[in-house]
Amino acid sequence: MENTLVEILLIEDNENDAEITIRALRKSNIANKIKHLSDGEQALNFLFGKGDYEGRDVEIKPKLIMLDLKMPKVDGLEVLEKIKSDPVTKKIPVVVLTSSREHPDIEKCYELGVNSYIVKPVDFDNFSTAITQSGMYWMLINQSPDL
Amino acid sequence: MLNKHEAQIMESNKQLALMIEEKEKRAAELLKANIELEHQNNEKEKRAVELLRSNEDLKRTEAKLLEVNKELEAFSYSVSHDLRAPLRAIGSYSQMLEEDYINVLDENGQRLLGIIQKSAVKMGVLIDDLLTFSRLSKKEMRKSRINMNEFVNNIVDEYAKISSHHAKIIVNELPDVLGDENLLSSVLTNLLSNAVKYSFKNEHPVIDISGKKITENNKEFVEYCITDNGIGFDMLYVNKLFGVFQRLHNEKEYPGTGVGLAISKRIIDKHDGKIWAKGELGKGSSFCFSLPC
Repeated sequence: MENTLVEILLIEDNENDAEITIRALRKSNIANKIKHLSDGEQALNFLFGKGDYEGRDVEIKPKLIMLDLKMPKVDGLEVLEKIKSDPVTKKIPVVVLTSSREHPDIEKCYELGVNSYIVKPVDFDNFSTAITQSGMYWMLINQSPDL
Repeated sequence: MLNKHEAQIMESNKQLALMIEEKEKRAAELLKANIELEHQNNEKEKRAVELLRSNEDLKRTEAKLLEVNKELEAFSYSVSHDLRAPLRAIGSYSQMLEEDYINVLDENGQRLLGIIQKSAVKMGVLIDDLLTFSRLSKKEMRKSRINMNEFVNNIVDEYAKISSHHAKIIVNELPDVLGDENLLSSVLTNLLSNAVKYSFKNEHPVIDISGKKITENNKEFVEYCITDNGIGFDMLYVNKLFGVFQRLHNEKEYPGTGVGLAISKRIIDKHDGKIWAKGELGKGSSFCFSLPC
């Protein structure tokens, strides 16, 4: 069972966006230990040591969770709600990344306790920059509590 | 004596007969009136049924309209979300290609890659413009009285901050208006940036912003015009100006998506106003709009 340290947990169903995100994070040396999961169900199993991740030490927590909203099966809002309502995971900073500025969920996310809400910029330089800056802020500048 | 009585009775009988005749006549008239009334009642009921039916028709049309509106919203959501994701991929992956493989691409390869990137950026702008346009219909208006001189001067100042132009902009005395500040600001910014863009090649571009009050059919309007001495346009194509994605000039020289005037027209329509243009090729153009007071 993988009990290795994960610095950033990326929950993103779009493989391309995931690749761009991981590349931006690696390139700016923000994090090397990035775990990418492509749906909400896997993410919850990972965080709470269930299903495929049965027996994983849940006390080994990521320093940051990057979460896409629109996903099949368990969507981002549901994942966020579970993370923020469980004492084991609620202190982990969660950055929501979403495709559309039309999304009415911004209010809902903040009500559920999201730490940051980013609309993926449509142009590419800006997308990488947004990921890099957000990663930089949450991993290096922001002071998180002991998780 | 008896004869006198007899004569009196006969006279009374005669009168009685006359009265009876009169009564029968009245009865017949009454009958006729009753029939008429019944007919009218029937007619009225028929009308009521008709009215009910057209009311139902109206309700159905309204429901359909709501449905279409909902579909349109879903459509614009899908445009913004689902078109953006692959577009981001096109742009990002061509950028990765550039970053990782620039050394193995010859000059032509790099040129082709550049076109892909530029086109992706342009499509992003198009999608955003289209969204702005479609969002306008569901946007609620918040009207207030606007001090037009202050308003236009602010817009001119703001525009100067984001665009380096050498046009001389004259703002004349403008009457106030009742309207939605955000929406009208985007109309004025659009008309101003068009005036700057299309007079850019003139050595001394002059843009004149004027306004006046007018009365038409006992109704008061305010009318504003933005006039430039730029390249103008052929009045033959005046009807095309306000259509979505319609352009009268070559994109290489005059960049833009062709949505600005369509957005402006929609905003003025929402204010129950009118927008029109006059132009002459090589001499300049004048864009005017009028709004009810």
